[in-house]
Amino acid sequence: MATTTPNYGWPVPTSTDYVKDGATAIEALGDAIDATVFGLPQGLKFIKKQTIGTGVSTVNVTGAFSTTYDAYKIIVTGGSASGSNYMGFKLGASVTGYYESLINAPWASALVKSSNSNNTIFEYAGNTFSGQGIYLNADLINPFLAKYTSIATTSGVTLSTGFGVYGGVHQVATSYTDFTLIPSGGVTLTGGTIYVYGYGTS
Amino acid sequence: MTNPLIQIDNEVREMTDAEYADYQAEQAAVNPSSE
Repeated sequence: MATTTPNYGWPVPTSTDYVKDGATAIEALGDAIDATVFGLPQGLKFIKKQTIGTGVSTVNVTGAFSTTYDAYKIIVTGGSASGSNYMGFKLGASVTGYYESLINAPWASALVKSSNSNNTIFEYAGNTFSGQGIYLNADLINPFLAKYTSIATTSGVTLSTGFGVYGGVHQVATSYTDFTLIPSGGVTLTGGTIYVYGYGTS
Repeated sequence: MTNPLIQIDNEVREMTDAEYADYQAEQAAVNPSSE
């Protein structure tokens, strides 16, 4: 006669159960573990990753946003770039309504604010560094919901002269499932990895 | 003359003329106002 584990109550057979019932017992145990793990409180949950090709000017990542999560973390690391510049971020095919500000803190001079109203992309979201790689560390709120989407990054720096914090709002209340990275200045990307995570909702 | 490369998920190919026009428009994004 089956019993249960002491902590999660998963069904397990006892030593006197019939061997012929083993497959059924394993199935029940597996299902119980699956349900428990799926229901655990979630932090960041991996959604997908995308390896960047060779010499590409834009990279589109589909299937990034869905009804499962309201908030997302997007990281781009590694790779190489043909130049040093900003790296823009576009939601779906939308080319309007991007409002943004970058507060750059140069190592050797005063703060500088760079802003755009109703831009065609989030122009300053990330960066490319010749000889160093591709940098994006972004948090997005509500890209999938038909609401304004906010973005905040810590990689919006101006070349190698300082570090900045960046924020923006896409003031278009539309649902998006994909995004595109668009380096400025005709810079091309090679290699590197894009990681997409969702912030758990339970 | 060839257009720049576009990547969509794992596919890398040359931009179509329409995609290249969009790309050029995005490259000409609004200049920043700094203070």
